[in-house]
Amino acid sequence: MALKGFRRNFKPLQILTEEEVEAIHRGTLEVLWVTGVRVEHKRALKLFEKNGCKVDYNEMRVRFPSGLVEESLRRCPSSFVIKARNPRDNVVIGGDVTYFKNSCGMQITDLDTWEPRVATRKENYDGVTVLDDLGSLHILGPFTPYFGFEGVPPAMAMPESCASKIRNSTKVQIEGFSNASEIFQIEMAKAVGAEILQQVLASPPMTWYKDAIEALFRAVEAGFPVAVESGPTLGGTAPVTLAGAMITNNAELISAIVLAQIIKPGTRVVADDFVFPMNMKSGAPAFGAIGSSLHQVAFNQIWRGYGIPVYNVTSGYLSSKSVDFQAGYEKAIQGILSGVSGANIIGLHGSVSSAITFHPIQAILDDDLAGMIGRFVQGIEINDETLAIDLIEEVGPIPGHFLNKEHTRKWWKLEQFVPQVADRLTYPEWMKTGKKSCLDYAKERMKEILATHKPISLTPSQEEDIEKILEEARKYYKERGLMSEEEMAIYTESIKSPNYPCE
Amino acid sequence: MTVEIIENLKRAILAYDSEGAASLARKAVQEKIDPIKALDAMTVAIRQVGDGFGKGEFFLPDLVGAADAMSAATPIIEEEIKRLGTSRESLGTVVIGTVYGDIHTIGKTMVATLLTADGFQVYDVGINVTAEKFIQGVKKYKPDILAMSALLTMTAPEQRKVIETLKKEGLRDKVKVMVGGGAITQEFADSIGADGYDPTAPGAVKLARMLIGR
Repeated sequence: MALKGFRRNFKPLQILTEEEVEAIHRGTLEVLWVTGVRVEHKRALKLFEKNGCKVDYNEMRVRFPSGLVEESLRRCPSSFVIKARNPRDNVVIGGDVTYFKNSCGMQITDLDTWEPRVATRKENYDGVTVLDDLGSLHILGPFTPYFGFEGVPPAMAMPESCASKIRNSTKVQIEGFSNASEIFQIEMAKAVGAEILQQVLASPPMTWYKDAIEALFRAVEAGFPVAVESGPTLGGTAPVTLAGAMITNNAELISAIVLAQIIKPGTRVVADDFVFPMNMKSGAPAFGAIGSSLHQVAFNQIWRGYGIPVYNVTSGYLSSKSVDFQAGYEKAIQGILSGVSGANIIGLHGSVSSAITFHPIQAILDDDLAGMIGRFVQGIEINDETLAIDLIEEVGPIPGHFLNKEHTRKWWKLEQFVPQVADRLTYPEWMKTGKKSCLDYAKERMKEILATHKPISLTPSQEEDIEKILEEARKYYKERGLMSEEEMAIYTESIKSPNYPCE
Repeated sequence: MTVEIIENLKRAILAYDSEGAASLARKAVQEKIDPIKALDAMTVAIRQVGDGFGKGEFFLPDLVGAADAMSAATPIIEEEIKRLGTSRESLGTVVIGTVYGDIHTIGKTMVATLLTADGFQVYDVGINVTAEKFIQGVKKYKPDILAMSALLTMTAPEQRKVIETLKKEGLRDKVKVMVGGGAITQEFADSIGADGYDPTAPGAVKLARMLIGR
């Protein structure tokens, strides 16, 4: 059993020639051997050296022989299952199938002022409940929905976020890492019989910090799959040219894949693209820029050639600050291009402005967008029944029509995607509603979801385990001085609330 | 046997089975089943589809499918009602059609179906209906309501023409006129002296009830 996702029914969009793909691959191999990658992790350096890399321990620089690189890419499975808490929600990553995953936000956005503020505990849990309900959302992202919430010290943000997703959703989750939070995340997933897709992030250019490599070791040793990604800005932490950035970004990702395949051959890997043009006025990533899509489409083409599933996280992030025209085109363009170029996972739902703000309302709106993209990649079914030649003969010219035909009743639901919250009324109907927009409908839908959707809850013994693991995490961070007395006092009070953990 | 045939007739409409509905209607007549009961059963079935449509559980292809099955069976049953010289209590009688120059059938059929489902006796005079044909319908069926559809801006004035003709024939005060369709607005409806307008099919049913005070 698994979620079906959307199966693409046509050749993926390719924007590079075979020769261009080869040029980028050759360039990547050259850079991996000549320039190498800095890996700030002793155990990793030793493993690299043992497996044929040239290692400079002073500079922590690893140079990769091409044979090892290509062998490591071959060792990655081209498709695989990731286990969810409920087998119904397993996902099978790879091939022609696309899944959607939500993006995140540090804070919640106010729907009137569009200003960010810290989410409450209840808002965090409600956010997860909405994500659990959405039909075209298959995987929950890291830092979801918020990077921490009221009453939680920053050190506990990741374990608390992970716990809220495990408690209020049965969907597979991707998790990040921060202050070794992966230790507790992995334990929590194991406690409920699920797996986590562990995200590991390079620090561009050409560097892996210790924390990321630690997270990679822990996930791979736990037998969990990893999503390797970097996050360069073009002209800042990668060459400004898309081609050049393709090489540094690929080299960064491949260096971690080599390590993963050394630690445990056959480790399940997803290659994630998280690359942005730089806003040359502010130096910030230009979220929602078309350059990201160019990069993602080429990335998907190259990595499909490597036989490794691809993930496009960038598509969910925008420069817009509110739910408006710009937000719509930024998400739609990025999302559809990821879809037609064969991304296996597309980050889409929920972020309002870059990774600064999130709102479940936006996720509800994005679920319609995901459904549209999903419908598009499914393409056009051609067979005798869909060609309908006999039916055309039966109906003939006017006054014949197709609306009263069994064929119409059967096929319209298969052929059409009907959005849940888009405004599709006629003008008079629309005026009668008081001129409601999709945003109004999404607000109504959110109320309805929260009133009716009950995520499958944990068993009492699972809940006990999760709470025990959170307690371990609290102790761990307290001992390391990562939570102040003041933070602890507020936190303890919120934990003691009779409505803990959900509100 | 009677119960079985009536149940099957209902089922045929819910399965959008025109041939089945017609043959069951003939069987009902043969078996001397009370035609009023048969018609009531069919109305229950179409109401179920109409209600589902209003709630968003059923869609246009369902509505039209059920309406087709209903109209395949209805003339057979009505013939029998006439033969027996009885009559069926209805909420009211409606003559409905799309105006001359306009061949759009769907909106008109939706309204006709939902009116039937609500308990009106509906005579659908079709599409591309001239003023003369509307007047003939009014004279023949003596309806409480005349309902006209026009989707095109160019054909909307045809509704004015029908109303003017009703006046000339001295029939205007005998019948309530309701108008609808993509080209129509409340302002336009007022300007041609229609008694009512609604932009939606379910709204048209409420309007019809209001016009006849039910």
